[in-house]
Amino acid sequence: MFLQQLLNSIAIGSVYALTSMGATLIYGILGILDIANAGAYVLGAYLGLLFYSLTGNIIISFAAAMATTGLLGILIQKYVYRPLLSQPAYIPLIASIGIFIFIENVIRLIAGPTIKQFTVKLPFSNLDYANLHINNVWVLIFIVALILMFLLWYLLKMTKIGLAWRATSQDLDIAKTMGINTNKVISLNFFLGYSFAASAGILIGILYNSIYPTMGSVVSYKMLAIIVLGGLGNPFGTVIAALLIGFIETMVGAYIGFFIPRNAIAFVALVIILLISPKGLFTQKSRI
Amino acid sequence: MKRSFISLFLLVILLFAMSSLVMAQDVVKLGFFAPVTGPAAADGESALNSAKLAVEVINEEGGIDGREVQLVEYDDHLDSKQSVSIAQKLTTRDNVVAVVSGSYSGTTRPAATIYQNAKVPMISAYAIHPDIPKTGDYIFQQSFPGPVQGRVGGYMAVDDLGAQKIAILYVDNDFGSTLNDNFQEYVKEKGAEVVYVDSFAIGEREFNPVLTKIKGLNPDLIYVVAYAGEGAAIMRQSVDVGIEAQILGTEGMDSTTQFLQVAGEAAEGLIITTNLNRDSEEEQVIDYINRYTEKYGFAPDMVGASTYDAFMLLAHVMRQVGPDSEAIKDAMYEVEDYMTNTGLLYRYTEVGEAIKPVQVQVVKDGEFHYYDQITDMDIIAP
Repeated sequence: MFLQQLLNSIAIGSVYALTSMGATLIYGILGILDIANAGAYVLGAYLGLLFYSLTGNIIISFAAAMATTGLLGILIQKYVYRPLLSQPAYIPLIASIGIFIFIENVIRLIAGPTIKQFTVKLPFSNLDYANLHINNVWVLIFIVALILMFLLWYLLKMTKIGLAWRATSQDLDIAKTMGINTNKVISLNFFLGYSFAASAGILIGILYNSIYPTMGSVVSYKMLAIIVLGGLGNPFGTVIAALLIGFIETMVGAYIGFFIPRNAIAFVALVIILLISPKGLFTQKSRI
Repeated sequence: MKRSFISLFLLVILLFAMSSLVMAQDVVKLGFFAPVTGPAAADGESALNSAKLAVEVINEEGGIDGREVQLVEYDDHLDSKQSVSIAQKLTTRDNVVAVVSGSYSGTTRPAATIYQNAKVPMISAYAIHPDIPKTGDYIFQQSFPGPVQGRVGGYMAVDDLGAQKIAILYVDNDFGSTLNDNFQEYVKEKGAEVVYVDSFAIGEREFNPVLTKIKGLNPDLIYVVAYAGEGAAIMRQSVDVGIEAQILGTEGMDSTTQFLQVAGEAAEGLIITTNLNRDSEEEQVIDYINRYTEKYGFAPDMVGASTYDAFMLLAHVMRQVGPDSEAIKDAMYEVEDYMTNTGLLYRYTEVGEAIKPVQVQVVKDGEFHYYDQITDMDIIAP
């Protein structure tokens, strides 16, 4: 029983880690709380289903949906956020909420408000061992999350563009004067941030066999709790924070009962942790 | 020059005034609001589709005494601030003779007060909170009130399915808590034990922790008050977790496209209480389902059927007493044994609650089928 709940909590935590990663990357470089990332999550899921129904190949659909949503990220960055960079932080925040509502409603108008199924046959089935149950989509989520995290780590720590990225996130203006093409770095950052969100949307769509225009609404605020907890813009802190929130939600539900709605638990945890450590679990220094 | 301009201006105003007078006489305006956008957009669209279809059918049948019926529709975004301001618009600006709510209880309740004060009859198509008809004598429900459905759930659980240990999962809103309260009251009175109760928010998709816990308690039956999306997630995950107990659902899961297709094989054997009998041999039900499917490309659900019925009931009453708000209200209390798509409407109580049979459907081979129909007055009279 406890082991099963632990497995449940890891599955939920990995889902949260994946959905919050895009917004974390973007906060890490521009300091913008990008609510529109939840729009990318919805759009990615719909594009994934579209490409899957056209090609019948889930790997191609994954790549195509991630690339398309990533390109949208570059466009949003270039035409919405870049002109607003000199403004106070709440102005791009409001713009991002606007983009999120816009994406949600465009999808509703095109695809309709009803739930669509996202059925994908995986090459491996559910694992049942003794009393323990592991869903096959959870395994897929672990694998995809690990691959994406590894790629991100490699890019940031082992490549030249990763160095430029880290420099830009530390101080944009100084990085620029040092000859770094910060626009290129920021574009790459948004491309990755939005494509990560798209991959999360597709995986969640497959996990629950359903996608719908408002699927991003819980994500849009819960990812905030997670990235704040993870130390704002720290990808590895975000993973830990996501797993922690998944764990707390599951265990509170399993052993104490839902005295408050489950979605509020993340925020209660956030308030308590911020009271103890005002900068989140991880400080700004370790940011990217 | 100036005088001719003024007289021309007056003439134009006069023409406008006359044309609006003629138009006001020509059409019968019926108000309608539903959550066409926002978190309940699927139900909103389903209700709106049926509202449009109903008005089309009423006009094909010659309208109301030769006058065309016009639908004045609004989107409330599942927001009670919106539904209240819509109620003000419908009663003061649009001057409708009657209103159908295609929305949930949370949005319909505050709006009902405004219709009552404006003396405009309102029929709530599928919002089932017991306080809605209690607002006043102008407010009616099309479907049986929530407490009735909760009791029928209890009756099915204990008397029909013989459950003794029951777990309950309900959606945390007016709909869920009304059904949960009345279900619990009934089963406890009958001596069954409620071993677990939990609620969840609309939009929740992750039930593994809760279902794992329920599995450990080993109940005979799980009563689930959920909408299509949450319901489908519960069905799929309960199979994953290995729950073998019978699951008893409610009208919230009554949707072919949104629930049955998403839940797939996991929904087999589910029993729900609802108001639409998919196996009905009544010609009007078959006609409605066929016509809706032809027009919109997918089968209607109970939300759609209930909305359609509310309009048809209004048309039926207006054909008897004319399109007058006061007369419609009075005539509603006189309606007796009127056949709707969602069952025979016996009559209205003095509070405006409908007395109708409750349908029990079971999922077999991926479709809803007839399981039982509850007509026992002790259970279905509010």
